[in-house]
Amino acid sequence: MLLDTGYRVGPIAALRESVYRIRALSNHNTIIRLRDPGQTISYVVMPMVLMLVLKPLYVRAVDGGTTKVVTGLLVMFSVFAISIAGNAILAERTWKTWDRLRVSRAPAAELLIGKTLPMYLVMVLQQIILLTYGCLVIGLPIPGNIPLVLMSILVWAFTLLAIGALLAAIVRSHGELSVISDVGALTLSSLGGALVPLSLMPDWAQVAAQLSPGYWALQMLQAAVAGDTAGTLLPAAILLGIALVAGAFAVRRLTRGWGRGGLL
Amino acid sequence: MLQAIDLVKRYGSVLALDGFSLSVAAGEIVGLVGHNGAGKTTFVEIVSYLIRPDSGHVTIDGRPPSANKGKVGIAPQHIALYPSITVREHLVLFGKLAGLRRAALDSAIEELTVALRLGAFIDRREAGLSGGQQRRVQAATALINRPGLLLLDEPTAGADLETREAMLDVVKQRAGDGAAIVYTTHYLPELVELQATIAVARSGRIIARGTYEELVDGLPGEVRLIHDNEEEVRVSTTQPAATLIDLLSRAERPISTIEVHNPSLDDLYRSLAVSDAS
Ligand SMILES: Nc1ncnc2c1ncn2[C@@H]1O[C@H](COP(=O)(O)OP(=O)(O)O)[C@@H](O)[C@H]1O
Ligand SMILES: [Mg+2]
Repeated sequence: MLLDTGYRVGPIAALRESVYRIRALSNHNTIIRLRDPGQTISYVVMPMVLMLVLKPLYVRAVDGGTTKVVTGLLVMFSVFAISIAGNAILAERTWKTWDRLRVSRAPAAELLIGKTLPMYLVMVLQQIILLTYGCLVIGLPIPGNIPLVLMSILVWAFTLLAIGALLAAIVRSHGELSVISDVGALTLSSLGGALVPLSLMPDWAQVAAQLSPGYWALQMLQAAVAGDTAGTLLPAAILLGIALVAGAFAVRRLTRGWGRGGLL
Repeated sequence: MLQAIDLVKRYGSVLALDGFSLSVAAGEIVGLVGHNGAGKTTFVEIVSYLIRPDSGHVTIDGRPPSANKGKVGIAPQHIALYPSITVREHLVLFGKLAGLRRAALDSAIEELTVALRLGAFIDRREAGLSGGQQRRVQAATALINRPGLLLLDEPTAGADLETREAMLDVVKQRAGDGAAIVYTTHYLPELVELQATIAVARSGRIIARGTYEELVDGLPGEVRLIHDNEEEVRVSTTQPAATLIDLLSRAERPISTIEVHNPSLDDLYRSLAVSDAS
């Protein structure tokens, strides 16, 4: 018989198989990412330029202007990077390849991990590069508690990834995705205080800011950079909550596939 | 090997499958034919476990599709490949997802490269390939782990001659090795070449099943003449040679074109529609 049914694998062997498939998928997705680097590069370079240009303004306008200009633009452009994640997932629908993966041996969880792992690394790297640049070029003091900063970056990237996956699961097209993510990114991050320091915004905006994940990301990163562990934890918990809700919803829909109509 | 019984699948007011039953034995090629919308692809999707039927059931090697995930080779009707990924990278991805490792993976890639004639473009990205080359790559990703059941949904749609030849060779070879194969197509000559069992789908069910000899032999073909003044004569006939001689002997003007067509799938559909009505 050609059908390779048969051998029963123990839990260790099953885990090894699973890791093998996840590695195959994440290698594959890394190649795709590397061959289409334009968007990623511009989301690293643009905030670098803006930090340089806007720094004098921030320093004159608010206390801790250097920290605010670095974290603000980091948050803003990390929110833009949602569209990288969203487009990568949506592309599987455009190419009709998602269904091909769904009929493979890899369960949905493996497909999603293999798909998102490389994008997660891209997002984490983007933020690390921008913070390092902030320290080396903009004059941000080197944070005392580096693990706390890293944890914040991991949490924020995870939140962004989950939101990106959610968007990819509900929009109808790449066009719709880029409208939602560009407009959404600008609104969320500027409302959160990423573009203009919060203390300079109108009162209503300062209240509304709390609805934006960008606001909590800023609070978290600024506290982390200042080495304030207690101040980091609350925003981190809120962001994780948002991530889990968005992620759970995205996973549920992506597991079902898009079907022939192209809609979930 | 594959047994589908009484499948029903409804999309709103459209009954995509309406009591669809089909079985395929190991080593058998079933040529699944029928007009667009007859339900062929829906059937393939159910067997692939991409969609669930509203009722009816499917077994593959005695087990439901859910228990055979990853063990059926599927080449979808529409090209579904990654534009920026090379042919070899596709084979590596799908081979690894099917559990193939180093040596086994290398030899599977090697074998398919030869069989489907991928050598000339194996390191090119998918986006730069012709339609026929993409068809071959798609088939290769379905064949990589030597599945015991193959579902090839219009694998030669829009394909060139080289692709068609390679595809038919591989399909014959895999059936010879014992694979059960569902092969959908709009080209009857392919099924003759494959010596396939022909199953005709219409309105969501199989309305006829048999060999070429049982279903097609004896159906009328067509003889077509065009005179030098572009006037055209078409005659439907079971005896093309005699008909042709008769037409030629009665022709009053010079003839510019002569065509003799064996019975086609359309002739088969027509004859089935007629026998249905009566
Ligand atoms: N996802 C879907 N949503 C709505 N209608 C569908 C869907 N899939 C198939 N159909 C309908 O079901 C019928 C059978 O389609 P299909 O299986 O693709 O036929 P074939 O492959 O024989 O051309 C068609 O009328 C088609 O429009
Ligand atoms: Mg079809």
